[in-house]
This record gives sequence, C-alpha cells and structure tokens, in this order.
Amino acid sequence: MKIFFLLFLYLNIVYAGDATIEVIKKAESLPTIAVEDASINYNDTFKLRFFKSLVADLNVLSLFNVDRHHREVPYNDSDVLVENKDMQYVVRYKLFEDDNGAMNLQMKLLEHDNVVFSKNYRVNNKNIYMFVSHAIAYDINNYMGADSVEWMKRKVIFARVIAPKQSEIIISDYTLSYQHAIIKGGFNLFPKWANRSQTAFYYTSLDSVTPTLKYVDIKTASVKSIISSDGMMVCSDVSDDGNTLLLTMAKDGQPDIYTYNIKTHKYRRETTYKGIDVNGQFMNKNTIAFISSRLGYPNVFMKKLSTNEVEQVVYYGNSNVSCSANGQYIVYEARESSNAFSANTFNLHLVSIKTDAIRRLTATGVNEFPRFSKDGDAIIFIKNYKGQSSIGIIRLNHNKNYLFPLKSGRIQSMDW
Amino acid sequence: MKSIVLSGVVAALLVFSGCSSKEPAVDEQAMNNVEEVQATPAQEVAPVATETVSGEESVVNSSTNEYNMDAIENKLPTIYFAFDKYNITPEMQEKIDAAAALGKKVASNFKVKLEGNCDEWGSDEYNFALGLKRADAVKKALVADGIDASRISMVSYGKSNPVCTEHTKECWAKNRRVDFKLLP
Repeated sequence: MKIFFLLFLYLNIVYAGDATIEVIKKAESLPTIAVEDASINYNDTFKLRFFKSLVADLNVLSLFNVDRHHREVPYNDSDVLVENKDMQYVVRYKLFEDDNGAMNLQMKLLEHDNVVFSKNYRVNNKNIYMFVSHAIAYDINNYMGADSVEWMKRKVIFARVIAPKQSEIIISDYTLSYQHAIIKGGFNLFPKWANRSQTAFYYTSLDSVTPTLKYVDIKTASVKSIISSDGMMVCSDVSDDGNTLLLTMAKDGQPDIYTYNIKTHKYRRETTYKGIDVNGQFMNKNTIAFISSRLGYPNVFMKKLSTNEVEQVVYYGNSNVSCSANGQYIVYEARESSNAFSANTFNLHLVSIKTDAIRRLTATGVNEFPRFSKDGDAIIFIKNYKGQSSIGIIRLNHNKNYLFPLKSGRIQSMDW
Repeated sequence: MKSIVLSGVVAALLVFSGCSSKEPAVDEQAMNNVEEVQATPAQEVAPVATETVSGEESVVNSSTNEYNMDAIENKLPTIYFAFDKYNITPEMQEKIDAAAALGKKVASNFKVKLEGNCDEWGSDEYNFALGLKRADAVKKALVADGIDASRISMVSYGKSNPVCTEHTKECWAKNRRVDFKLLP
C-alpha cells in the first residue's frame, strides 16, 4: 500500500512538471534574425526611428528571436556583417529618397547568406514610414508561411476623450506611432469602420439634441447623418458586405439592438428584453452575439436574427460587459471583482460555441473593449492602468500580448 | 489505517498542487517607441463643433429668462446610484419629489434633459446603456409625480462625462449620477 502511494506521488510530480518545461523549450528554439541598415539618405534620427519600428514589428510576428543592434552596411555587400554571421536570417534594407522626394525602400531577406526574398516599397510622405515597416513584416511573415497578420497593415480608429464631453476621433497604425485626428472638436464617440477597405467610417455625435449616427467618407471628407435616436445611438458592428448595421438605440429610454439596412434605411428591432441589450456582434450573416442583463447581470448571449431564439453563451462570472465575435469564437470582458470601494479587475476570456473550452487571455489590470481582427489572428483591446491608457494586442496563436501606450487622454472605444 | 489516511491526504494535496491548471503565459511588453506623427494623407473632416444645436440656437426672449433658467437649474438635484444599479433609493426619491415640485411651479415654462452617467468601470457601450436606464428611472419617477412626459428628454454619457477622475470610492460614487439640465 505504501509503495503504491509512493509510486502515485512520484508519477504525479513527474507529470506535473512537464507543461512548464515545454513552453520554455519552444521559446528557445525560434530562429534568429538581425536587421542591417543600408540607408543612404535621411538623418540619423529618422534612420534609427525606422530601424526600431522594423525591429518591433519583427518581434510582434513572434517567429524570430530578433537582434536589436543597429548596424549599418552597404546594400550590395555580398556577405552579412561579421557580427551577424551566426544569424539564421538577416533583413537588409536601403532607404533612399527619389527625385520626387518620395521615400523608397529596397529590402532583401537573407538566409545563411543567400537572398531568399526581396521587395521594393515606396511612399510619397516619409511621415507614414511605419506603414512601410509593417508591410515588410507582413511580407516576411507570408514568406515564412505563418498565419496571416493582415491586421498589421490595417488602420485602427479610436475615440479619445480629452475632457468631459470633449473627444477626438483618431486614425492610427496598430502601434500608435502614426496618429491623425480626423474629427476634432465636440463630443464624438464609438467610431466604426464602414467597409473592409477602411475608406469610410461611422461614429456617434452627441453634439446635437438627439444622439446621431454619422457617416464619413475619408476620401472626400464628407459627413452625412444616417439615423438619430433619443437616449442612445451606437453602431456596434457592420456586416461583411457593409449593408447591414447592428445598432444599439434607445427609443423611450429602452436600450435594444436593431438591424439597420443602409440601402432601404429601414431598421428592425432584434431584442425586446426590458433591461439592457447592447453590443451586438455578427457571428455570421444571420446570428449575433450580444450583451444582455436579462439574467439580472450583464452576460453574453447569442441570437438568430428575425427569430426569438436566444441562447446563453457564457456560464461563468457575474458581470461580462463587452464582447466581440469571429465565427465560432467570442472574446468577452469579465469583471472579476465586485467592489464598489476599491480597484476592480477586468480580464478578457475566449470561448468557443462549438466546444466547452474557455481560455483566459489577460492576467491583471483593467482590460476592456475587445475586438477581433478581421482575420481572427489577433484581438485588440483597451487597457487602462494607473491613469495610462494603452492599446493592447493579443496574438492568439502565439500566446503573447503587446501594449502600446497613448501619451494623453483616454481611449473610449475603437475598431480596426 | 491512520498512516494510510495521512499518506492519502498528502498524495491528494500534492496531486492538486502539482496538476493545477496552467494559465497561458502572458508576455506583456510595453512598447516605448511610440511617437506622434502629424501626417496628413487624408483630408480632415470639418469639426463637428461648427454644427449648430437647435436647442441652443433658439432665441431667448430676455436676459431675465436666461438668468432664471440658470438659477432654477442650480436648485435641481443630482440623483445618485449604487454600483452597477439603476433603481431609485428612498433617499433619492425625496430629491426627485422636490424636483418635480419645482417643475410644476417656477420651472413650468422649461423642458428638462436628464443626463445619465456612470463610474469608470466597464466598457462604455454597456455604460451608456446603464446611464440611460438611470435617466429613464428618474424620468419615470418624475412622471409619477405629475410631470408631463413630453417635457422630459434623456441622454446618456456613459463614463465619458465624469465630474472627477480620482480613483477613489468617493469619486466613483459622485460619477454614478443623473443630472438635470433645463431647456427653454
């Protein structure tokens, strides 16, 4: 009997240790990559800024151990620098200005001294250099055959509250290195891209008597009003074909989810519960996930449109206040403390409607407003900690999180 | 027997501590290379502030009227709410009764806009709805006190219109509120 127990203990200790060891081994086995700067124009500050942007992007790919030393070399040297001779990969690029003042970049990827991939890039304005570095990382990622990181090249749009009832709507890249305030002045919130190509967006204006949903065409800078509602008006999601919006409106002070057809201008009420129904998110053309307080506390549900079939999705927690959907997966924000008297913790969880799997994605702090990327590879979210507002990115398949702080103001809502 | 039970307990403890569910490794890196770039590849949209608000544009007949509106608005209460709730407490009900009395007498020429607000916790879309339910609760109480529903409009600002920003329980309690604003 004693021998049995000792054997049982021994086996448990041995097997309990395995999971941790496996994670460490994986991190150590990533191929190494160095970046060589062969730029011939631009000052040292700008060259270093570009270099750091590229190193950061390669790091976010989570495919390499990235060497961070800034080293310069002529572009046409046949060998890599002696310091890099043990690197599995070397990215060498040359920035130069052409006769029209545009920024050009030639890039080649070397694997053990052989050029395996090369590409050229060009932008008219060097101020958007970070989009070139994102494009390089995207292309290298594709060459390596890894899961798509199309989200890296996309623009993020967010509302920044700068004072009570004052906000701006800003378009940025995913690192916040590039920021352009497209709407300044007034109180405008909840921006939402109107199409996949990101040439237009919706937002809520709270400056008129009634909250109004507006549509902006970025190319023409035209603004038009779409629909108004007493009390509350938010565009929570846009269908893949761009024709149907999920709105939260509040006729008579009752917040509910509506579908709105932008061609017929007709809307249809989808929820009828007397409490709170908000944050509708398309799971597919006919099914939405949303947040409802119909059980007495906010939780995640799903519903087939035009029917009364509502199904509870999450069976854990007592306050799940925000969600985003990508096919069968839903990410939601769970309040993990119920304290009116001290700091609360909000963490993001991932659930699949096909399995019972739940995965916690963040560990500490106040993590809010999750949004899936279109390709489902990553989740963007807002992190507020000690008065600092940041954009967070979770790489789902790599189990890694990255944070990009905002210098001032608070991120209220965003989309990408 | 005792020793078997004891070793069983020890075994159970070791099993549960050794096989605890592993949280996914979270690797958070603060990226410090964030620089604000003033680039203008897209046209900037005209500021919304240039849009006129019909309520504010309406002509006020005399300066006395405006003065009265401000004076009366200052007498109107702020209604406070408990954490994550939108029901009216008995203490707050008394304040609403007093507001209704004003609404029927000195403020009888004015309309009122109820502005619902929340503390800083939770995503803003849910908070906008919560703030609105708070405003709606106050509206229903005013109507029950005899105020005409057509005189009352509602809006919510979620957590984006705080009166204070300290991370203290006193400040959070001050932000969970409905404000009264008079309209001519």
